[in-house]
Amino acid sequence: MPSVISGIVRGPDGQPIPNARVYFTSGPVPLPEIAAITDDRGEFSLTAPVPGEYVIQGAADEFTSRSSKVKVKGNAPVRVELPLK
Amino acid sequence: MATSKKLAVPKGGHAPLSSLSKEATEAASPKSTASRPPAEGKSPKTKKSRKDGAEDVAGFKGLKESAAKVESLKAPNTSKLKDIGEASFGKPKAKTETVHGPDNRVRITNTADYPWRVHASLLITAADNSNWIGTGWFIGPHTLITAGHCVYIKNSGVPGRDGWVKSIDVMPGRNASSLPYGKVTSKNFRTVAGWANSGDENFDYGAIIIPTELGNTTGWFGFGVYSDATLKASVGNISGYPGDKASGTQWYDAHKIDSVNARKVYYDIDTFGGQSGSACYRIINGARYGIGIHAYGGASTNSGTRIVTPVFQNMVNWKA
Repeated sequence: MPSVISGIVRGPDGQPIPNARVYFTSGPVPLPEIAAITDDRGEFSLTAPVPGEYVIQGAADEFTSRSSKVKVKGNAPVRVELPLK
Repeated sequence: MATSKKLAVPKGGHAPLSSLSKEATEAASPKSTASRPPAEGKSPKTKKSRKDGAEDVAGFKGLKESAAKVESLKAPNTSKLKDIGEASFGKPKAKTETVHGPDNRVRITNTADYPWRVHASLLITAADNSNWIGTGWFIGPHTLITAGHCVYIKNSGVPGRDGWVKSIDVMPGRNASSLPYGKVTSKNFRTVAGWANSGDENFDYGAIIIPTELGNTTGWFGFGVYSDATLKASVGNISGYPGDKASGTQWYDAHKIDSVNARKVYYDIDTFGGQSGSACYRIINGARYGIGIHAYGGASTNSGTRIVTPVFQNMVNWKA
């Protein structure tokens, strides 16, 4: 059973960033290379197919990309914040 | 509309599926051939490719040593001894990365020219209205090939997201905010039973049928079924729309094919999220032929669905 990694991408002022790109850069298994686009609340959700350690990265054109390590245990959902600078 | 003879319809995992319930697939007189040729479209301004099988792109530093091959040059691992690092840091975790070693990708700016305009930036709206980016490539006047997971979401774990996507905005030759061939929206997709029903990564491929004949302007790539030996001796080229770069910019890399199995092609070509669906192609006497559909980022190599006979048959039928 997959787990869902959801979160929000924020700018330096703490405001959510819509239309940012979020994608995996590493994980315990090969991962599909499709990238999520944050909604108008800066929110996204990605699917982690198996438990393990993943790295997700957020990118938006006016900001510096930021990565975050995420540990997925079982199929429990995980919530992350991606603050861009 | 151009017509061509359809091939026998594959069965089993490669049984084709359509997002349109009224669409019927027909068996036709089978006459399988190994490849279908490319076309360069209108006013292509095509630049000749390099002799080593890669594209001639300013700033491209050439074919690098693959991470896997570099690994093989290291001293042999004596299995009786543990790495001293484990004494302090514990056993290293296996990890997967999609850019291996230095980032070899170069940006393509003349995206209005062939072959670059064959590649399309995709903005995908899933069934739950979430948005995603991917890449597709023309194989005919109204058909683009992409990853199965770009047209049909499987095992997302998110309520309402799985199944056929709602729509895809197709932007061929996109260059940041510039759309030299405009944007066309499709709600007409294809994939196969092995992906849609089973989520089997070996069947991760699909098509986007657009309501115009825009491919006659952009041109398209050929595609073919090739032997293991031919593929392993080939240079693979990938150009697409990665999410880690400025929005809507096209990036290219190439490297010798690392390995193949019966269903997949593996390569140390740098890619990133957003490039799902890109063509992995080889250049034969200056003509471009797809050999795989890029889909996954892996440890030392990335991978795509190999164009084998049933994949080829579906692609020919989807192109018609």
